[in-house]
Amino acid sequence: MNMMLSSLRSLLSSPRKRGSKPKYLFFALFLILSISSTLVQAEEPILNVYTWSGYLPESVIHQFQQETGIRVNHSTYASNEALYSKLKANPDIGYDIIIPSADFVSRMIKQDLLQPLDKTKLHYLKNLNPTFLNKACDPGNLYSLPYLWNAYGIAVNQKYHNPKTITSWNDLWQSKYKEQLLAIDDTRIFFSMGLVSLGYSENETNPKKLNEVFLKLKDLMNNIKVFNLDAQKSIYIDEDITLGMALNGDIYLAQIENPNLQFIFPKEGFVIALDSLAIPKGAKHSDNAHRFIDFVLQAEVSKQISLETGFSTPNRAAELAMPDNIRNNPFLYPTKEIMKRGKFEIDVGEAARLYEHYFERLKMEH
Amino acid sequence: MNYIKNMNTIRKISYASLIYFFLYAPIFVLIIYSFNNSSYSFLWQGFTLRWYQNLLHNTELQIVAIHSLIIAILAATFATGIGTVAAVNLYRYKFFGKKLLHSLIFILILSPDIVTGISLLVLFSVMKITLGFWTLLLSHITFCIPFVTVIVFSRLIGQDKHLLEAAKDLGATDSVIFRRILIPLLWPSIIAGWLISFTLSLDDVIISFFVTGPEFDILPLKIFSMTRVGVKPEVNALCSVMFGLTLGLVCLYQFAMRNRDRGT
Repeated sequence: MNMMLSSLRSLLSSPRKRGSKPKYLFFALFLILSISSTLVQAEEPILNVYTWSGYLPESVIHQFQQETGIRVNHSTYASNEALYSKLKANPDIGYDIIIPSADFVSRMIKQDLLQPLDKTKLHYLKNLNPTFLNKACDPGNLYSLPYLWNAYGIAVNQKYHNPKTITSWNDLWQSKYKEQLLAIDDTRIFFSMGLVSLGYSENETNPKKLNEVFLKLKDLMNNIKVFNLDAQKSIYIDEDITLGMALNGDIYLAQIENPNLQFIFPKEGFVIALDSLAIPKGAKHSDNAHRFIDFVLQAEVSKQISLETGFSTPNRAAELAMPDNIRNNPFLYPTKEIMKRGKFEIDVGEAARLYEHYFERLKMEH
Repeated sequence: MNYIKNMNTIRKISYASLIYFFLYAPIFVLIIYSFNNSSYSFLWQGFTLRWYQNLLHNTELQIVAIHSLIIAILAATFATGIGTVAAVNLYRYKFFGKKLLHSLIFILILSPDIVTGISLLVLFSVMKITLGFWTLLLSHITFCIPFVTVIVFSRLIGQDKHLLEAAKDLGATDSVIFRRILIPLLWPSIIAGWLISFTLSLDDVIISFFVTGPEFDILPLKIFSMTRVGVKPEVNALCSVMFGLTLGLVCLYQFAMRNRDRGT
């Protein structure tokens, strides 16, 4: 690294041009830099929030800033992997609030990247729905609290298919759906469909069983037209595809533009993607972070977040405060019986490589 | 004969227009969709200015856009200054390791962004510098310098070396030569270098991902992070506005250059 600096410096100074202006500028810049980096050390009314894109409405940030006088710096990521690699590469980077999904919560706890929550500072804990608490990814919720949830099920366009005939993941294997389905381009989610349809755990690590699932999913490949992650809403709205995997929140939003869309919670079970608030170990504003979590746990705020993002809230008080048409929407808030079939992911450790390996083979050998 | 000639011109024109079509069609599609009255659908649902209005009220998007512009302008300016001086040094003076330095510049241009990004991250964390505005600015200056140097250097090679010797003969000092002869001669390439740096800085994702901190988010990272939930039409509107700005900048450059040529 010193070499890089010195080569830069020698670029700037030839024997005859010693002391030319740009060189001074460069040193001045370094001086300002070192001063400003020491100033940052002191406590300050700042909160650095790092969330999924579209997960934290501006109005909520605005209200928090007004009520507490804490300035919020909000940046966004597109995948758990991006968040994880950023924290892993530089644990002191200074994010105070993050929202990883359940499997990454358990991975981050294992790798000591998260800070235990001080529950004495959280007054609205009781608002949370027990269905989403005390899960395998974080027993006792020592490190994380649920923020929003989605379910991965089946989207059906009733103009083309009778929704009553599709109740199970296994229905997607029928040969009449050749080259018709959309599959979600996410290793764990895609495999969960195969695992659950065979009656295995969604967090299976046994190589033999994974191989079995691989073979089963290989049969499905003939029916799949496209793998997609980010444009499901437009694909289903425009009827480019009329049947396939989907997120309940996405189909709820898509149904507003195309009323023919239906969402089905498969009878064998479905994965609930639970995104949770957590505080990284290197957070410099832990107090502010707790204030933020408590703020978000309030029924009104939680309701607003859920309404603006379109995803379901794990906050019982917020759910009850929702307008009737949302609270009774069968896609967003299914009955208790359906919810019992919901499954939660945890980190699968070393088996993750096997999942990746099989996923690549599925795509390549097809 | 005439017929063949005509055929040839038609062929040439259609070839050129095909190239331009491939280059510009995606941009026009984006601009058209910024007027589409639908949040998610890619089908045409009617004309609307809604997304431009939303953009006006979306302060978060505005802030990151302004952040990006600040970084791009500062990085382009510093990089142009440093890069120009470097190019002139490489051209005018003989010193130990000159050839090595010259080829190192090309290596920096060829080296993948991910290598630059990670090595800068390592540098900053070893030096215990908090990631944020300053690290981002330094990194952007760093990766822009080689481009400016190469552009300015290639213009220098085309110049008559005797010009500088004559100036020296007439008693001009180094700084006078730099200010009164080199800068005016190099002006078009300096502006070109600035514009290229500005563009590079404005759309860099990979290096910025590694070196920016929680307090300073920029537009390319923001847009990139939307890929999971889908890019909002407001982003189409913002990109259209930025395309308009770029167009304006290029027109201004052409206009200034033409006036200048007329002046001399």
